[in-house]
Amino acid sequence: MMSFLTDYIYYIGAFGLILIGLYIILVKHNLIKVIIGLGILDTGVNLFLISVGYITKGTAPIFSRPEINSEHMVDPVPQALVLTAIVIGVAVLALALSLAIRLYQHYGTLNLSKIREQKW
Amino acid sequence: MVNPILLIALPLGLAFAIPLFALFGKAAPKYIPPVALAFNLVISLLLLPKVLENPVIVSIGGWQPPFCINLVAGPVAILFSIVIALVGFLVSIYALDYIKEGATEKYHMLYLLLLTGAIGVVLTGDIFNLFVFFEILCISSYALVAYMRDKAGIESAVKYLIQGAVGSSLLLIGIGLLYGQFGTLNMADIAQNIKSVSPISVFVPMVLIITGLGVEAAIFPLNAWLPDAHSSAPSSISAILSGIVIEVGLYAVVRVIFTIFGASSILLSLALLGILTLLVGEMCAFSQNNIKRMLAYSSIGQIGLILFALAIATSYGVTGGLFQLVSHTLSKALLFLAAGYMIYQTGSLQISALEGTGKKMPLTCLAFTIGAFSLIGLPPFIGFPSKFLIVRAALATKETIFVVLIGLALLGTVIEGAYFFRVVQVLYFKGEKPNPGRKEAPIAALIPMFIFVALIVVVGVYPKLVTDVLNSAASELLNRLDYIRSVLG
Repeated sequence: MMSFLTDYIYYIGAFGLILIGLYIILVKHNLIKVIIGLGILDTGVNLFLISVGYITKGTAPIFSRPEINSEHMVDPVPQALVLTAIVIGVAVLALALSLAIRLYQHYGTLNLSKIREQKW
Repeated sequence: MVNPILLIALPLGLAFAIPLFALFGKAAPKYIPPVALAFNLVISLLLLPKVLENPVIVSIGGWQPPFCINLVAGPVAILFSIVIALVGFLVSIYALDYIKEGATEKYHMLYLLLLTGAIGVVLTGDIFNLFVFFEILCISSYALVAYMRDKAGIESAVKYLIQGAVGSSLLLIGIGLLYGQFGTLNMADIAQNIKSVSPISVFVPMVLIITGLGVEAAIFPLNAWLPDAHSSAPSSISAILSGIVIEVGLYAVVRVIFTIFGASSILLSLALLGILTLLVGEMCAFSQNNIKRMLAYSSIGQIGLILFALAIATSYGVTGGLFQLVSHTLSKALLFLAAGYMIYQTGSLQISALEGTGKKMPLTCLAFTIGAFSLIGLPPFIGFPSKFLIVRAALATKETIFVVLIGLALLGTVIEGAYFFRVVQVLYFKGEKPNPGRKEAPIAALIPMFIFVALIVVVGVYPKLVTDVLNSAASELLNRLDYIRSVLG
């Protein structure tokens, strides 16, 4: 049991975050909370991507430094993916927050269950 | 040789240069999208003859596939790129006069970015790159839906953004799972190795990716955002959302299923899903009083029909599906463009408010009527050969289930006919009250509309013009081994 936990702790954490994020998005009615849920979901996905490329006691993949053992180098591709995914996540969150400001100006509330003009 | 990478590089570069062009005068930015898209159209047409013989593979950064990000300009990609550039070009001419209020340079910048994203999705051969271009497309369309900053626009943009963002996250998890198993992001390389692992371990990423992309492709039950977003956006954007964005989403779904996973076992369930989408969309469209919501629901129905045709997975079926996709793009873009000025002149979204418009705005209403007839599938418009091909494909399978399903699809077409005829009747034969102040749409709007009309009629009369491209596109989608061989050598 313990070895399972130590081996898969990053995956457990990542999917835990993803499920928490999805739960918040599905259940909460406050737009700010939903946006926070989106942020948590993003973080979970990023953590998952990083853990795909991670090996225990891994080091940075720098080939020009001979003291770094190439067997322990982590896979750099997922890190590049996560960097891109973070930037995309920032863009989505920024847009969502600016829309939230506009929504509040129009309706005076952020409660999505009260904003029903378009049949949610 | 023209390099396909220009198709992405030029609009992307010009999109970010638009704020600079705005320094030369407030009117300058609006001429950039037509220029960029006309250029794209020319490049795509120049590439077409070469691509029909052999797909053009572009490796970026000097590495060989599968180590680089590559572009695969096959018949499918070039077909989509021509359609995107053509529709984008015509709609951008329409927008010259239609978009007057608000931060216009932001509109034109986001518009060009949206189309860059769409072209990137269809050209790329790398699954993470597909995700990135997909996000460019999605984020610009969220912002464009909210462009008018009115209540309805903001609300639908929020709804669209939340659903789209969840879909993108699912897509990214699926991509991560695939990378974990195969250690590569190249679509051809994944496709080559997909049979080497147990089916159940590819099933989970497949479901995640299809669900993620299905949100954007508006496959039932993931399409709750569509009617709001398409009806609240400015009409030029509705035309692009209905004509290009959901088609590109559908392209991504089909590419993933056919090429990457080669999953023939789930095709039947996709066909069922397609028919379900079709019936739900058409029945909701029938009960609408708001003309743009009606058109939006009709897009859902058409997407269902295209999905059904593609899921038949015979050469006829896929050709028919792609043909229907082209015909839907042209007809629905025309309908939204015509509806845009009808709404502008009447000041109301209600269908009943359009009474008697046919006499005041004869050209716009003629364009709308032709678009509607083409969508229903009446000859001699483009919708007729495409729907005919789908029916023939379904009957040619000689399987009871497909015959039953095509029967249901034809029922959907009857419903479609009913609500479109109702609108046409309101336009021409109802209401005798004089409507002062309604005048014809301006010339900058009529020209693109009538180019659409000309295309719809010409391709409808001579379907042979496009069948060569459609046939080779269909065979590219069906022969995944050829795709793998052409990319990996």
